[in-house]
Amino acid sequence: MHADERLTDANFPDHPEKATLEGKNKFLGFWLFLGGETVLFATLFGTYLGLRNMHMDGPAGEEIFKLPMVFVATMLLLTSSLTSVYSVLAMKQNRVKAMQGWFIVTLILGLAFLGLEIYEFVEYVHEGHTFTSSAFGSAFYTLVGFHGGHVLFGCLWIATLLARNWNRGLTLVNAPKYYLFALYWHFVDVVWVFIFTVVYLMGKVG
Amino acid sequence: MSTHASHKKRTGLMDWLTTVDHKKIGILYLLSGGFFFLIGGLEAILMRIQLIKPENDFVSAEMFNQLLTMHGTTMIFLAAMPIIFAFMNAIVPLQIGARDVAFPYVNAVGFWLFFFGGVLLNMSWFLGGAPDAGWTAYAPLSTVSAGHGVDFYVLGLQIAGAGTLAGGINFLVTIINMRAPGMTFMRMPLFTWASFVTSGLILFAFPALTVGFFLLMFERVFGAHFFNADMGGNVLIWEHIFWIFGHPEVYILILPAFGIISEIVSTFSKKRLFGYSAMVFATVLIGFLGFMVWVHHMFTVGLGAVANSIFAVATMAIAIPTGVKIFNWIFTMWGGQIRFTAPMLFAVGFIPTFVMGGVTGVMLSVPAADYQYHDSYFVVAHFHYVIVGGLVLGLFAGLYYWYPRMFNRVLNDTLGKWNFWLFFIGFHLTFFPQHWLGLMGMPRRVFTYMSGQQLDTSNFVSTIGALLMGAGTIVLFINIIISASKKNIASADPWDGRTLEWAMPVPTPEYNFAQTPLVRGLDALYVEKTAGNGKMTPAEPVGEIHMPNGSILPFIMSVGMFISGFGFIYANWYAAGGGLGIVLITMFLRSVIDDHGYHIHKEEVEADIKGGRA
Amino acid sequence: MADHQQKSDKTVHRHEALQKKLALKEERKHHNVSFIMMILLTLVAFYAISSDKIGDSFAVMFILVLAVVQVFFQLYIWMHLSHKGHEFPIWGMASGILIAAITVASLMGMIWTS
Repeated sequence: MHADERLTDANFPDHPEKATLEGKNKFLGFWLFLGGETVLFATLFGTYLGLRNMHMDGPAGEEIFKLPMVFVATMLLLTSSLTSVYSVLAMKQNRVKAMQGWFIVTLILGLAFLGLEIYEFVEYVHEGHTFTSSAFGSAFYTLVGFHGGHVLFGCLWIATLLARNWNRGLTLVNAPKYYLFALYWHFVDVVWVFIFTVVYLMGKVG
Repeated sequence: MSTHASHKKRTGLMDWLTTVDHKKIGILYLLSGGFFFLIGGLEAILMRIQLIKPENDFVSAEMFNQLLTMHGTTMIFLAAMPIIFAFMNAIVPLQIGARDVAFPYVNAVGFWLFFFGGVLLNMSWFLGGAPDAGWTAYAPLSTVSAGHGVDFYVLGLQIAGAGTLAGGINFLVTIINMRAPGMTFMRMPLFTWASFVTSGLILFAFPALTVGFFLLMFERVFGAHFFNADMGGNVLIWEHIFWIFGHPEVYILILPAFGIISEIVSTFSKKRLFGYSAMVFATVLIGFLGFMVWVHHMFTVGLGAVANSIFAVATMAIAIPTGVKIFNWIFTMWGGQIRFTAPMLFAVGFIPTFVMGGVTGVMLSVPAADYQYHDSYFVVAHFHYVIVGGLVLGLFAGLYYWYPRMFNRVLNDTLGKWNFWLFFIGFHLTFFPQHWLGLMGMPRRVFTYMSGQQLDTSNFVSTIGALLMGAGTIVLFINIIISASKKNIASADPWDGRTLEWAMPVPTPEYNFAQTPLVRGLDALYVEKTAGNGKMTPAEPVGEIHMPNGSILPFIMSVGMFISGFGFIYANWYAAGGGLGIVLITMFLRSVIDDHGYHIHKEEVEADIKGGRA
Repeated sequence: MADHQQKSDKTVHRHEALQKKLALKEERKHHNVSFIMMILLTLVAFYAISSDKIGDSFAVMFILVLAVVQVFFQLYIWMHLSHKGHEFPIWGMASGILIAAITVASLMGMIWTS
């Protein structure tokens, strides 16, 4: 069987994402990359935690953070993490349409999250909390912005992946790519769990 | 089967720009790393000439600051690391019996990012001045440094660092997933083990540096306030981030040298490595402890007695696994049939030199004493003993040892010995007196000193030594030119090797192994030699071999990064955005263009085997 | 005989397919349960902070614990770290988390002198 042949129900492997050496390599390499990303975000979190009370003349986190909006953003991202897991489940059963559908839902939720984040940033800037207003401002926008950048990259990634493979079904070449995207998306959600806890919730209690 | 095997053979320059072959990428790393090594060496010699006598005016103070910054930065990031990657690329896949690395395309991306990052950094010499805040770029010195020098530092190293991170992941996956049948972890040659641990350190240390560079860039280019005390920032954030990366970095550098020395000592003593499992354990332990000691660079910051004590003890603990290694090398030589070839000479010279650097390291790890040594020439002497006396001697040893495999020629042994003695004597002349200079109170990074402070003689001797090191390096280049002009090709196994990289003919076939070898023990080739086979037993029948296609995209992508780097340095958002656009477009192209590589037919492989080419 | 063999092959095949389907169904159930759990954990965290009844310092510790629990749900159930063949990914993440922890601790605790 050829790696880029469309898989059928008869020859469908248990783990299409790891059925070839290339797939295994990508799977492992991406996990290790996520290990490195953990350190990357930890450094950003550490910087933020070191500087979070240094808001100088600008507003403190307590005064500006809007928990309802953060809660909605959290629900969007959490749900998108679930829908990407549904995609992977559908992938394992070779249900291509279902997989594509759930990924599209994931993409839409991701875009909605991004929109909300941009709206939030604009609000903050109006209230005097900017990137250059204080060490707290710089650290806040860097940390949350890096996460937002990851969401944006994920949206571009899944959109490209879906468009390119729309009519090609599942193959041993594209299955690892879908799987990796799902891992990435979960990781982005993991980071957000810490952002809403450490930045927003802890910011409310000072 | 091979319907899509539309494979264009590229030649000449285009072949080198598009290659994804780990052997060629290894050569590219070696050439560019060697080039930057010469530049860094030249910078060192200029500094030493300035310091040859008191109150010299050979270079200005500003120029001296740029030279010392660029010397350190170039040697660490643009010379030492790429040469390490050169050997990892050239040798690790061969040592584990693999046909390639796990991600050949990413491998090329990693190389070109490093290359263009290095070029970007060095462009600063011609564009208004190089960075001048030291290789550590401590804030606030780096945040207030005028001109664009530090911007070049931040963006050049950011781009090069991304390439290094990609390389680290690549080798981790290669070593985990692509070992030949029978090549268990505890049968891997020590150099492969060292590369494995080093790659792990890269994976977890470089992301911290990435963030550090982003913070510094945001501070300088976008006016952020991470390190600006007036706006609530804190300069210690930079110091912590830099050393959380920086200390593992020195183990990233030295572990591969340990691996090289282990291979060479064992081969030229005709004995298996003494205490192999202890060596593996020591390597892993050094890698782990390397993350737990960064605060010893910051003893004088004032973090308090408790923090200083904890990190002092952790630092001293590293001497234990390192000592295990030293003794194992000595015991490997003990009773062996030692051949003092050029690589062995470098390896043997390495051992006492590195021990001296280690001893001053333990001295520095005592916080109370460190207050005395801190920022003096004593520290300069210490880290040059471990990095030059350790790493560079190791890299020279590796170069002489693996040169036949990489370039199909053996380097002249007599010239190699001249290279060794000139460099070795020059090294000790340069750096041994610097211990005294430091203890007598000469601070590091000063561009001159007064006469009558008893610093004159030691500085003079030190400069003479530096010139001798330069002479030793010139001998190496003469040696390389002579070997290149000769017609005779090296034999496949010139040193009576023990490991798999000597198991195939010269030149190495592009698919490395016509048939994946079956590994039956530690020192896989030597096992077969003693069993009377002389060559590896294949683990598979002769068959079609799948190969990846070359691609120009890694090169274009790195050019995009280079342009974007310039854009950020000069706050030209069109260039910055345009460069990143090129990067995104190449990523997009890579993902939408199907490229399944090509196959080498069974008949071609059989013909190669028959013709002695595989 | 051959026919018989084929038939039993087919039943085995069908049996395997059924088992796989059941396993996936089970997996889906796990995913749904962990989703509900994560929503609950999030709600509790938001409540702990918004409510006046819970002391601030306790609330901070409490929501940090909740975050860690949520991350384990993500890693082990949604990202399948609990499945076979994830030994090296676990090593990679564990090492990353270790370095991450000391990085955060040092940047939080070792930059301001008391």
